[in-house]
Amino acid sequence: MTETTLQTQELRINMGPQHPSTHGVLRVELVTDGEIVKRAIPHIGYLHRCFEKHAENIDYMGVMPFVDRMDYVASMNNDMGYAMAVEKLMQVEIPKRAEYIRVIMAELNRIASHLLAIGTFGLDVGTFTPFMWCFRDRELILDIFEMTSGARLLYNYLWIGGVWMDLTPGIEEKIKEFCDYFEPKIDEIDTILSYNSIFIHRTANVGIISLDTAISYGLTGPNLRGSGKKWDLRKDEPYSVYPELEFDIPVGSGEQGTVGDCWDRYIVRVREMRESLKIVRQALKQIPEGLFRAPIRKVRPPAGEAYTKVENPRGELGFYIVSDGSLKPYRVKAKSPCFTAISCLDEVSRNEMIADVVAIIGSFDIVLGEVDR
Amino acid sequence: MKSYFLNIFKSLRSILKGMLLTAKYAFTKKATIQYPFVKRELPTRTRGQLFCNIDDCIGCKLCAVACPVDCIYITANKKGPTEEINHTSEESGKKPRRFHLPQFDIDFTLCCWCGLCTDVCPTNCLYMTKNYEFSAEKRQQHIWQYGEGHKPGPKTEFNRPGDQLKLYVD
Repeated sequence: MTETTLQTQELRINMGPQHPSTHGVLRVELVTDGEIVKRAIPHIGYLHRCFEKHAENIDYMGVMPFVDRMDYVASMNNDMGYAMAVEKLMQVEIPKRAEYIRVIMAELNRIASHLLAIGTFGLDVGTFTPFMWCFRDRELILDIFEMTSGARLLYNYLWIGGVWMDLTPGIEEKIKEFCDYFEPKIDEIDTILSYNSIFIHRTANVGIISLDTAISYGLTGPNLRGSGKKWDLRKDEPYSVYPELEFDIPVGSGEQGTVGDCWDRYIVRVREMRESLKIVRQALKQIPEGLFRAPIRKVRPPAGEAYTKVENPRGELGFYIVSDGSLKPYRVKAKSPCFTAISCLDEVSRNEMIADVVAIIGSFDIVLGEVDR
Repeated sequence: MKSYFLNIFKSLRSILKGMLLTAKYAFTKKATIQYPFVKRELPTRTRGQLFCNIDDCIGCKLCAVACPVDCIYITANKKGPTEEINHTSEESGKKPRRFHLPQFDIDFTLCCWCGLCTDVCPTNCLYMTKNYEFSAEKRQQHIWQYGEGHKPGPKTEFNRPGDQLKLYVD
């Protein structure tokens, strides 16, 4: 009798756009059956700034500040992708010193970005202290960036043909100091968060992405490596001076649960920070003297097209530029890793609890500035 | 049943571990800076508010071209044949100044602090200062004037002949 009187209907809930755990302005429409999520439909576009159309109306150098604003927590990596694409179009060789400076900056920014990802992921699942610690350490990286580029968040430091200015005198010691300071801090994060039993219970076996799903959705970066695939552009399709540097690629192995769960994606980021530190240390040792920018008088690539992809903290960022030989690009297309990650959300969060959707979004580490562009 | 109690024990243990770690930080120096009272020392390359030393400006408009958001407005009137052509200062290369520059306005509501304009300046008269505290109540107060005959600061007179401001001023 109770079965006939009970009304069981699906409830649609809007999560966002002002939800704190969506890392920006993302609206997720949840179709729920009680506490179980049946579907999660992401609605994007709240942060759309017309990057691609805008880029057609400004000269090649002027696009750089807008590239910064795509993935605003990893500006240096974004710049690297765009600068490499234009350099490929122009067929210029950039000085070795510039390459090394770029790699140092990109890896430091990778650490900063992962720190933010780890901190906010911890915040999403209910811990506050690691978030403050991560931001405290990220601040030191931002200080280094401020000394070299003058800005704290949107650097515009990696320019076409090299970098804006040479490294500040004495910054090498500062970076080394940071590396020495930061290495034990990762152990602290491991103690307080990674191997915390409550945290493991909250994230392991949640939001499992099988390798097949990950590849069919085109996931890249830590999200793909969390699913157990050893794929990193820095190793597999090396660019810049990465072939000269030695590092490992951490892969999720299902230590605490199943391969491809939230904890695996999280731990890949933590381990990647150690690898980045390794790269920074090596690059500081090997950095040669020389020019920091190739002598380019005017950025005016010949007609043609070029595509480059770089390994961003969030995955592969690709830039496709078509030039018609004028001062402005004819077309700029950016392939964003966050967009592919968010497209996977529906499949991953089916039949999970509502509270776990928050953990899943946090483990994807999306930046809405890059999803919408 | 056994795993239930084991879970509780494990959770308590990891809480204790975390607490011990955080307790150490109670005795270390605080990382927070109380901003309005304590100010950070800014590095020399800080990209703050733009400043133009108009006496060194030659009116080439390279900065206005390089600006990706078009926030620099320059009016340059060529000097007549009888007028004296002075030169820029020693440090900026003693270049001839062939233009009157009644308007050199920068709209800081648009500026994105990318620093592209400072790099192209041939006389280094346009540079970024460390000033970052210039909040204002009105939008118009963010348009700063550096032109000849004006005190560098927020613009007060709008829509004078020759002004080419994009911003609609009411």
